[in-house]
Formats: sequence, structure tokens, C-alpha cells
Amino acid sequence: MSFDDGYTAGLKAALTGDRDARFVWLCNFEVENQWARSYTGLPAARGSATAATVQRMEELGALLAEPTDYLLLDRPLDEGYRGYAEKTGLGAPTELVTAAPAAAGGTGAAVLDSPELLERLRRIARDGAYLMPMGNSAQEERIGALTGLRPAVPDAATYERVNSKIYSRRVAEELGLRTIPGHCCETVGQLRHALDEQLGEDRPVIVKDAYGVSGKGLLVLDSRRKADRLLRMVERRAANRGDDALHVVVEAFLPKRFDLNYQFTVDRRGRVRLDFVKQALTAGGVHLGHVMPADLTPAQQDELATAAVALGGRLYADGFFGVVGVDALLGADDLVYPVLEINARLNMSSYQGRITERFGRPGGAALARHYPLRLAAPLPFEAVTDALGALAEPPHDGEGLVITCFGTVNAQAGDALAGPPTTPAPHFNGRLYTMLFAGDREGLDALDRRVEAALDRLNTAGRTP
Amino acid sequence: MERHDVVAAVEKALSEVLEQPVTGLTEEVRLFEDLHLDSTSVLEMLMALEDAIDVSVDPENLDMDDFKSVGTLTDYVLSQQTTSGV
Repeated sequence: MSFDDGYTAGLKAALTGDRDARFVWLCNFEVENQWARSYTGLPAARGSATAATVQRMEELGALLAEPTDYLLLDRPLDEGYRGYAEKTGLGAPTELVTAAPAAAGGTGAAVLDSPELLERLRRIARDGAYLMPMGNSAQEERIGALTGLRPAVPDAATYERVNSKIYSRRVAEELGLRTIPGHCCETVGQLRHALDEQLGEDRPVIVKDAYGVSGKGLLVLDSRRKADRLLRMVERRAANRGDDALHVVVEAFLPKRFDLNYQFTVDRRGRVRLDFVKQALTAGGVHLGHVMPADLTPAQQDELATAAVALGGRLYADGFFGVVGVDALLGADDLVYPVLEINARLNMSSYQGRITERFGRPGGAALARHYPLRLAAPLPFEAVTDALGALAEPPHDGEGLVITCFGTVNAQAGDALAGPPTTPAPHFNGRLYTMLFAGDREGLDALDRRVEAALDRLNTAGRTP
Repeated sequence: MERHDVVAAVEKALSEVLEQPVTGLTEEVRLFEDLHLDSTSVLEMLMALEDAIDVSVDPENLDMDDFKSVGTLTDYVLSQQTTSGV
């Protein structure tokens, strides 16, 4: 298994044995919501304030797919952006657009409601194409069943089983990997017990839903008072339901140097290859993106590589093959904690593989981040490239920037601007996803500052998010 | 409880959750776009509100639309007071 002559082709070989396979990509971000259906987590409001942005993130798939592939979308790519993707030399896949924009069920549900598109998928299936979802759930299996598209990935039940954070924690413990002090909980009573034990250590704890998407479905409790508030709410809910099930993980909130993310791929024969290790980048506690290479010692790198092989072997034994991203942490004690959670599906970093391969240089540095924008009106793609000026040119000789998703810039415009006029005028928060390349970290920081300054002129007056 | 009392309680709860003073809120202020709350901080805010005023949130019946603005949140809190008989 090698990515030497193509990240995406190598992935296809690992998943199907055929590096020339044609994939129909479905970048179903938040597939966790499907897996979570049978598991009670932390109290949460129905709906999501960022649903429109997450929906548009499916466009990240445009630069991971090969030009001979297909990409399922609930609306077409911006024409300006498509032209840009082609100009970078990465090209763009054939777009397969649903009959109507996606509702709460995402693009998968919209595909199932698109008879003409299903018919086209049947024709594509007859030519031997595979369905390649970010993660597999009953919805994607239904698309496969209706169209004849072969799945490039394991079945939905396997995905659900290995993507629980309870599974992550138990497997890490069984494999003897260093774990953060904590507990798996499957009842409200177990949560009370776990909080009693952890808070006795006089340090904050984090409570995570078994199926929370990164950054959501988690709660940091830094006092007994806050723990009691949570217990009061979940005990009340359990009493009302007559059911005390609760699927969460409780862990100590350890002081850290930084968060890590690494990816490995398990092929159909169980061989495991570590793809990359990235370091999380935060500003004021807010997650911005990932940087490569991670600032780790060779021994720390080795520890992650060993963990990847152990986890990959266990996942394969449990029926899984494919891409696996793992969140990890380098503690303030300089110890690597190799498993915060296993995400056995495509991850944000997975979408950067083909771009990194094309524009990165050996020994160079790369940064994947989004730039928040505060906008008063939808922005044409050309306004972004105009603001960036020469920075909008594709990277040359290992230096420069790639726009990896444009749809997220205007995703929130509809909701925000639909209401009555207000003073000051309403605005919405957009995100421009990018990858930056430079010879080293200093060059990367300088490029990041230049991009930030160039994009700042697009912001409306006032505080940016 | 009057609307302005609820808004004052919301300011106090948000100050705790956001770890900075929040004052002078008007009902038009949007919780996500303007104050940068997320789904986690919404839950923390509700728990703080339960502590601060005599309201009992029904965790089965939370909808993101109730948390669009200070005004919709105030409506929600007042409706919970009615249903909890306070």
C-alpha cells in the first residue's frame, strides 16, 4: 500500500484493491447524528446553529475526489470556485446535484428524494463505481441498495460500533495505551459515580457524548456546583422517561501543550499505515485548524505510530477497514495521550491529503485553517480572490495558499439576512477554508498573517468572530 | 417574573458562561452570531439559569430556535415558568 503516486488512488487501492476505481463521494459531515439515534447523551437543543455551514463543508470533497470521480452535492459548486479548482491543477469531479437543497437529513436524504439522480446513479453503478461516504449509516446503505452502487467501506453497523467514544476508551485501555483518568458511563448512576470520583481529584472534568461530533456534545465541569447542575438535569430527564440510560465518557481535563490528530488507513487485508500526524492550532481557546509537522520528539512520534498499528489491528479485528482519524493530546507533562477519541471515518485532515501531496515539499510546513469572516452580504468568489491578490495564485515551489472550501463563506447568509432590518444592519459569520504551504513554521506564520490581513478588508465593521 | 428580570438573569448566566461581564443586552442581540455561543455554552447557560431563577428546563424539549436571540430566550424562560407552575 503506497500513496507515492497518489493519495486518493492509494486510498482507493486500500479500500477496493483497485487504484483506478471510480468513486461516488458523499461527504456526509455529522453522520454521527445517525449513529447517535439509539444513545442518550447530554441534554441538547434540537437543530444546530451552524447546520448550514456544516452542510456546505461537503464541498471539501471536490479536492479529495479525482476528476474522474463523482461528488454528490445538494447544490452546485460556485462556478468561480470550480474554475479555480481546475486552475490549481487538482481538477474537480463531476457534480451530481440533488433535486432540492438538503433539509435536516443532509445530502443523503436529499439523494433519496431525487428520482432522476437515483436513475443516474444506477447507470453509474452499472459501470462498476463505488459509493464512498465519509461514514456509513443506514441512509447511505439505502442509497447503495436503491442504485446498486457498491460500498467502498464497511457496513453501517460496524461504523456505529467502532465510533462510540465508549468504544475508543475501552479499546485504548485493553490495548494498554496511556489513557486519561476517567470512566465510561452507560447510566445516570454511573455518571454520578464518575463525577464523584473525578471531582475528588480537584481538577476539571470533561463529559463527552458517546457520539458527539468534534466540539459538540461535550461539557467541561470545573466545580461540584456545575456537576450538580448537570446531574439534576439528567436525573430529571431519566425520571420523566423512566429510563436511566446515558452514554457518555467522563475524563479528567488535563493541562496540555497541544492537541494532536493523526490518521491511519487500514486496508481490506488488515495492513495498517500511518498517514500523518498534525498539531491542533488554537487562538484564544478557539480551534482554528491543524499544522504539520507536529512539534513532537522522535520518541513521541514513535509512540503515536505504535498506537496506530495497535488500534488499526483492533479495528480490523472488529470488522473495520478504511480511514481512521484519532484525536490525541500532548500533556503539559510531555506525555503523549494517544487516544482521546477514535473517528473511524474520513476526517477534516483526510480532505487535505491530495492537496498536501501536490503542493507540499519534503521538509516543508503546512497549515490547514479557516478564516472567519463577518459579512453583511453574500460574497462572490471573485471578491475573495481580488482581496487575496497575488496570494490567490496556486502555491509555487512549496509556498502559497489553496482555497479548500468556498461554500462555507456564504452558508449562513440566508438565515441571518431573512429577518427584519435591524440597526446595526444584520451580519453573518462565514468561513473560508484554506491550506497554506511554506518552507518552515516561520514562513507559514508570515504567510498566515498576510492572508489574514488581505481577508480582513472583506469584513464588515465590528468585531470578527 | 417580568421580562426585564429574565433579561437580567440571562446577563448574569452569560457572564458566568462566557467568563466576561455581559451587560446592556437588548432583545435583538443574537446568541450565536453576536455573542458567539455554541451548543455547549447554551447548555451551560441553561444550567446556570436554573440555579439563578426558579425555572425548570425540560431537557426533552429544547429547540435551537428558542436560542436565536435574547428575546426568544426570554420567551422560552417565561414559558417554562408557566409550565412548571411558578
